[in-house]
Amino acid sequence: MRVVLAIAAKDLRQRLRDRSAWVIVFLAPVLISALMALAFNNNSEFRANIGVVDLDHGPAATGLTQVLNSPELEDTVHVRSYGDESAARRAVDAGRVHAAIVVPEGFTQALHGGTTAPVKVLDSVDFGLQAQLARAVTESYVAQVNADRLSVATAVAAGAPQRDVPELAAKAALLRLPEEVRAEGLPDDALKVISYFGPSMGMFFVLFTVGFGARGYFIEQQQGTLDRIAAAPVGRGALLLGKSVSTFVYSLAGLATVTLVSWLAFGASWADPLGVAALSVAMAVCVVCLTALVIALVRTEQQAQGLASILVFALVLLGGNFVFASGTTPLIRRLALFTPNGWALRGFTDLGTGVRGWAAVGAPLLGIAAFSAAVALVTALLLRLRRTP
Amino acid sequence: MNAPAGNPAAVLDCAHLVRRFGDRTAVDDVSLRIAPGETYGLLGPNGAGKTTTIRMACGLLRPDTGTVRVAGLAVTTAAGPAKKLIGFVPQDVALYPDLSVRENLRFFGRLYRLSRRALERRVDEVLDLIELRDRAGDRVDALSGGMRRRLNIGAGLVHSPTLLVLDEPTVGVDPQSRHAILESVTRFGEEGMAVLYTTHYMEEAERLCDRIGIIDRGRLVAEGSPRELVALVAERDRVRLSAVGDLASYADACRGMARVEGTARTGDHGEVVELVVKDARSLLPDLLDLAHDQQVDIRSVEIDEPDLEAVFLHLTGTALRE
Repeated sequence: MRVVLAIAAKDLRQRLRDRSAWVIVFLAPVLISALMALAFNNNSEFRANIGVVDLDHGPAATGLTQVLNSPELEDTVHVRSYGDESAARRAVDAGRVHAAIVVPEGFTQALHGGTTAPVKVLDSVDFGLQAQLARAVTESYVAQVNADRLSVATAVAAGAPQRDVPELAAKAALLRLPEEVRAEGLPDDALKVISYFGPSMGMFFVLFTVGFGARGYFIEQQQGTLDRIAAAPVGRGALLLGKSVSTFVYSLAGLATVTLVSWLAFGASWADPLGVAALSVAMAVCVVCLTALVIALVRTEQQAQGLASILVFALVLLGGNFVFASGTTPLIRRLALFTPNGWALRGFTDLGTGVRGWAAVGAPLLGIAAFSAAVALVTALLLRLRRTP
Repeated sequence: MNAPAGNPAAVLDCAHLVRRFGDRTAVDDVSLRIAPGETYGLLGPNGAGKTTTIRMACGLLRPDTGTVRVAGLAVTTAAGPAKKLIGFVPQDVALYPDLSVRENLRFFGRLYRLSRRALERRVDEVLDLIELRDRAGDRVDALSGGMRRRLNIGAGLVHSPTLLVLDEPTVGVDPQSRHAILESVTRFGEEGMAVLYTTHYMEEAERLCDRIGIIDRGRLVAEGSPRELVALVAERDRVRLSAVGDLASYADACRGMARVEGTARTGDHGEVVELVVKDARSLLPDLLDLAHDQQVDIRSVEIDEPDLEAVFLHLTGTALRE
């Protein structure tokens, strides 16, 4: 065991003296996670700044403004008034508001008189979603007003006295269409961007450890130090174990750093710290297995670097490290289950949405373990085939 | 652990070693023994099988047939205990360039399971021995080539081996460092350590070794003390002819002469023909006549007393550094 620890300690000491390793495994994932957190403002809340131009000044236009300022939309929509369309246009172009609703002159009269006076929505390519919201609210409001008109007209046609029209209109206004768009805030346990991309970037960069480890092995072979170790009373198993321990510790340190910084500095949250630890440990074991596989497959440092890079990019592209799993096709989501990082991200996603314990990490841990076992088996077979007598 | 077997007096006992790589036989039935305190030189040109032999001796390569025992312990079946007794110094500097001198020595010492206290004491001793105490904290990549060579040897000594195996430790070394290395090896022998030293430098083998094995094309063609080996060609002289002309044909023609026992072309551009002959003085006129007949212009003639170079030429028909 002392020899195993000596080899592991030596490898770790060498890695800690390698600045590029520091940057790739510790600094880069933290920086990229931070950038993503900033880019998405670290939450998934949706805001729409809507400008309103009231050229009508009638009750129908006031009603639309009241809908936009209603308590149901106050967390989502912020309303600003403009005197004319050109001012609203400039505000939209400058990004001061995301979209603007122009209520034309005669809008109220048109509603009551049956003529048309269409409401205009000024939009911007940068804020398509907010423009859609403005259109939807406007259409919903107009549909509601039309429904009120229709119900009153229906009552009058059925014989209701004209003197009751104001009362009927007031009652109709209290009714709501059976279906309407309602903006609701996300639940408290919604997945934060950083809770997903923190571990995701951590895994992406820790997978580069596969290349470091494999290259390191061949560099040692080239510089003769492996022979020197083999000439000492050190079994092959102790050598492999020592190197595996260093790769494991290094990978785990990388993942732990990213998850801790994501949690402490950027507000990432996972329901179960033990689950996070278990997924990190499983991924670190998997990195060890992948490193051994690359060593077993190739013969030179350059080949190791090349194969490791291909492997890393294939895994992160399939595993969903760059996009939310929900944003990909069903095929990609299925393929992600053939990757350890895909399974780990599934676990982190569940933990990030409030699921705890075995329910969150059970299947991911089994998935990663199965992948690692398969890689270890192939590696053992390859090493046995390659072994010189 | 296996019970000690073979010759218990021998620190290293290699018996009938054979190692093939595909169709090529790199080592062919090589046997050698080294006694405690003895320095044994394995002398041969590049590709003769020296490195393959010592890799088998150190347990880095399994022989196809034959056995290796270190202090009676079989390297194949009692690898751990046998390897504990061996200090291996590879031909190329095999150190970690990003670790310090002391860290390198500590690491290689730990592989031999030295206790912390014993390791620190031994590292200090080795640092003194290789004269790098004042550079102990420096990274290896900051050392000169000669210092790295010395540290390369030091890393093989840190666990106080019974048998030190050095594979051409002076290749590419400046004269000053080379002298220091040779001095150290002499001292190891004097201190009772058995040394297996491979080289293709005849003068190193002559200076350092109690016994020498001459290896050529995988076979051990002769073995003995330098004096015993030179005695093999005692009646012969080595003639060096610097010449201009078709020296290949001239060397072939010389080979056909009755008293010529070995020929080789040496020199940077093959401008020297070396011969091992009986009674050079009486043969010299015939050699000059032959040169004249073949329109070879002889520029200088040297006749040397027999040495290991002549022995090698005599035994293998080729020069050591061809």
